[in-house]
Amino acid sequence: MYVFKAAVLGAGTMGAEIAQVISLSGLPVVLKDVDEGQLGRGMAHIREIYGRRVQRGRLTEHDAEDRLALVQPQLDYKGFSDVDLVIEAVPEKLALKQAVLGEVEAQVSMTALLATNTSALPVTEIGQSLARPQRLVGMHFFFPASVMKLVEVIAGERTDEEYIDSAIEFVESIRRVGVRVRECPGFLVNRILMAGLAEVLRAERDLSLEPREIDAVVAASKLAPMGPYALADALGLDIAQDVAQTLQAAYGERFDLGDRIANLIAQGKRGAKTGEGFYTYTG
Amino acid sequence: MTKDQETELLDRFNLAVFLEAVRCLDENVSTAREIDIAMRAGAGLSEGPLGRADKVGLDKVLARLEELEARWGDRFHPPERLRALVASGRTGVAAGRGFLEY
Ligand SMILES: NC(=O)c1ccc[n+]([C@@H]2O[C@H](COP(=O)([O-])OP(=O)(O)OC[C@H]3O[C@@H](n4cnc5c(N)ncnc54)[C@H](O)[C@@H]3O)[C@@H](O)[C@H]2O)c1
Repeated sequence: MYVFKAAVLGAGTMGAEIAQVISLSGLPVVLKDVDEGQLGRGMAHIREIYGRRVQRGRLTEHDAEDRLALVQPQLDYKGFSDVDLVIEAVPEKLALKQAVLGEVEAQVSMTALLATNTSALPVTEIGQSLARPQRLVGMHFFFPASVMKLVEVIAGERTDEEYIDSAIEFVESIRRVGVRVRECPGFLVNRILMAGLAEVLRAERDLSLEPREIDAVVAASKLAPMGPYALADALGLDIAQDVAQTLQAAYGERFDLGDRIANLIAQGKRGAKTGEGFYTYTG
Repeated sequence: MTKDQETELLDRFNLAVFLEAVRCLDENVSTAREIDIAMRAGAGLSEGPLGRADKVGLDKVLARLEELEARWGDRFHPPERLRALVASGRTGVAAGRGFLEY
């Protein structure tokens, strides 16, 4: 299946960036939200991303204008009948996602591909009440989507292989790297990375090390672009803790982060976004 | 940090990541090639965990896991898949085959 027109639901942190990536590849994309203010902020953010590309000389002003014009902001389902792919990026609440996708199913053609950008909810459950759950895939973009190349394409229990193939083709057509993932808690990247982070926290304790020296050693080893503590701060300690708890419930003790991060959160230190986490941030 | 501590820290991080990658493989969550691609493109790791283990040599990885298991317990228990690869001579890049083919 070829995607001639796409739609993104939710113009927040992820939705706006996903719409930008789609438009950059030359595809028309509807960006739908329920909140006019959010929709305006989402469009402003997309304009900003294009502005930066022009500044860096990666796009002419004229081309940027053309691509930006491919993003159609709206509050209703106008024009959804000829949309080939809908990517849902509304808040991470199961009931909301189920309701929104149910709504969308009534607006699009029988063959349209439906996708959810959920970070951690089971795709199978999100699709539970759809008339045609076989066409729902997980399409997990990473933050910030305008920069990050990876998209996990996740098959729920009822997803048909042909829709996975279409999703992978689409992801490649917007110049992203798609990997096929069978649904499991944490999917692939967050699950594997979190296993590493939990072990680093244990090593910190066992060897009486400091976060700062651990980050320095990891960065110097060139294993990763930043150390695990700087990464956790960037992600948000509360989000890291949430993910780890889901994983611990699913797989057991190896995902136990101990009380190190919980203590910081209890002091209101949730990482870079609050100005303090393992490190202190100014400005 | 002493040199020994540094080695232990990096080994524990790398092997925890490696073991989780092997579990994903065992559970058919994805393929070896795609797991490595995902960890590079999605987590920014310089190398995928399976390719990295192939490069180190799976016999060496197995021996190190046995040491870590003796010291830190079950969570470092070497996976059957790793033992089978080593037993069949598929010890990684040097042998031309490991988790991936070379
Ligand atoms: N933020 C991240 O780092 C990240 C990374 C990967 C995946 N995700 C996932 O992406 C999804 C969106 O997260 P976010 O951080 O962009 O959230 P957000 O809160 O920034 O944005 C959500 C947007 O959805 C809108 N919305 C609410 N109800 C709606 C409806 N019925 N129809 C259309 N729009 C509606 C909201 O007005 C808001 O603009 C979540 O499932 C999240 O888990 C987030």
